Amino acid sequence: MTRKHPTMARRAFLQRTGAAALGTGLLGLPQIVPARVLGAAGTPGANSRLTMGHIGIGGMGNGHLGYMLARQSRGEVNVAALCDADERRLAAALKSAGGEAKTYRDYRALLERKDLDAVVIATPDHWHAVQTVHACQSGKHVYVEKPACCTIEEGKAMVRAAKENKVAVQVGSQGRSQREAHKAHLYIANGMLGRIHKVTCWHYASPADNRPVPDSEPPPELDWDLWLGPLRWRPYNARYCHGTFRWIMESGGGQIRDRGAHVMSNALLFMNADHTGPVTVEAKGTVPTRGLWDSAIDMEVTYQFKNPDWTLVWAQPGEPVPYFDRDKQKREGIREGYGAVYHGEKDKLVVWVGDGQVYTELKAVNFQKPPGGVDVPQSPRFDHHADWFEGIKTGRKTIMNIEAGAATSFLCILGNLSLVLGRKLQWDPVRQEIVGDEQTRRKMSRPQRYPYTL
Amino acid sequence: MKTTDVPLATRTVVAAATAALAAPASSAASPAVAELIANLKSPDDKVRGPAWQHAGPSGAPAVKPLSEVMTDPDFEIARAARRALWKIVRHAGRPNAAAEAQAVATQLIALLPTAPTAVRRELLWMLSEIGGDDAVPPVATLLANADVREDARCALERIPGAKAVAALKQAMATAPEEFKYALAHSLRVRGETVAGYPSQKLVPTKPTRVTAVPGS
Repeated sequence: MTRKHPTMARRAFLQRTGAAALGTGLLGLPQIVPARVLGAAGTPGANSRLTMGHIGIGGMGNGHLGYMLARQSRGEVNVAALCDADERRLAAALKSAGGEAKTYRDYRALLERKDLDAVVIATPDHWHAVQTVHACQSGKHVYVEKPACCTIEEGKAMVRAAKENKVAVQVGSQGRSQREAHKAHLYIANGMLGRIHKVTCWHYASPADNRPVPDSEPPPELDWDLWLGPLRWRPYNARYCHGTFRWIMESGGGQIRDRGAHVMSNALLFMNADHTGPVTVEAKGTVPTRGLWDSAIDMEVTYQFKNPDWTLVWAQPGEPVPYFDRDKQKREGIREGYGAVYHGEKDKLVVWVGDGQVYTELKAVNFQKPPGGVDVPQSPRFDHHADWFEGIKTGRKTIMNIEAGAATSFLCILGNLSLVLGRKLQWDPVRQEIVGDEQTRRKMSRPQRYPYTL
Repeated sequence: MKTTDVPLATRTVVAAATAALAAPASSAASPAVAELIANLKSPDDKVRGPAWQHAGPSGAPAVKPLSEVMTDPDFEIARAARRALWKIVRHAGRPNAAAEAQAVATQLIALLPTAPTAVRRELLWMLSEIGGDDAVPPVATLLANADVREDARCALERIPGAKAVAALKQAMATAPEEFKYALAHSLRVRGETVAGYPSQKLVPTKPTRVTAVPGS
């Protein structure tokens, strides 16, 4: 891999003088340096620690920070920068991190730092694309929460940015890295179901806002302008912010964008369909009659794929399948509120959950690949972050690379577009664009509020 | 509730809305539109909700009456009216319905000069989805309005055609200096080359007050 800003002469100099001198600050340089400084051009050395920045540190971001702090305690990474538009969250994260990291409200200041190797982006969905593209352009590897993007053009821009800047991007659909996801994938790839003609997902319904409140002033700790970022301006509303953004179509887009980005990510992987897409998308559903939240309570989206022909159905609530082992379920806290059934010519296979938890049937769990059988990708130690680190260090594609992340997001986006517009959509999976519908074509992108733009 | 399982009251609303589509745009007070408005103003969301959800076919005649309800002091009623208008825009924008889209866009354009700021924002974004060349001059006029110029810029960035690009270029000559950066961005999105006004997208502007306590 090569980087946009390789510092060859400086790197060679540093390698000659040794890392120990750096550690003591004898050269008058910062004590934290990017790992790439000590590795090959653009690639961190095998034993070097990555220097990390975290953008968005509430919710999932807090989980990522905890994970990285645990790695930091083992000497594996440096957590050097924390960023959030909510200063209360920022202060709490700083406390967790032990006061060593530098804090930022504005992610652009964080990206200016040359010592950061990589960033974890766990902001609301409407920020994912802009921040990922900017991070790539500043030469940083990116772990970005799912779903990758809010519009088709955002997804395409993310793919371009990762490619042009030769950085590793991992999207946070971590189901792909789980042990039993690997088992299910292996089982399917080795033809145990025969040709699969249909995948049906189920997920419990989305909530309605039963406590609507009028718009108001934002709390003092929140930079509302920055939180909104690329979205068109609107006043703050207590029912539209941390967490609740999930139920607003322009940002979170409901369950199909939240859990759909897990369950359908696995479906694309198992169906070997990361680089294709449906030719038609048709949604129907019900949205709340009151309140600010406008994402679907229940919905059914049918995606028709061609060559090979198969159908993907996202359904809320769909037809839930109870987990087969109640004792194990109780012992391991296995959720069964969402999952997918893979319908093949010979047999079918159930895969429960799909995110940090993935469980499947015993016939797949116990399956052993036959001699000469098909192998499938596997994350190191079934750890999604570890797979990202591997991608950074070796340059190989991550298991949920940005192409796959965008393809999964496109399914979610197209489903919601069909619902909002009330019509079946035609999609060109090669050109990745809407066919024959001018209004929907315009909605492949969304003009962004300046200066929070791609 | 599935969309196929529509209660009788809602079906009545839909029938009325469909009838309204046939009415000329000037008959804003037609019975069908009046019924839609009355249902939107209901305090019962079981009446109000289905009314906006099935307002799509109401078409151009309902645009102005709905825009007036969008400023209702009851935020749930105002929201229902806004969503009803969006339903109309989305329905009118379907393929092979150019005349319907044009009729709705004409009504949206007519409201632009006088609508309150919050309504104007919605109108601009609606026109970004179905507006054509005739929407460009009235939208471009609002580039000079500090309250909604950003929404107007976004609308012009999205409306296809050379006329929208020309309007953005023309605005570069007269816009306040700080807004020219945003206009230049839109022009670049449209594939134009702009001298000066480099992108500010990576320029930090918001420092934090949260800092580490020494020795913590």
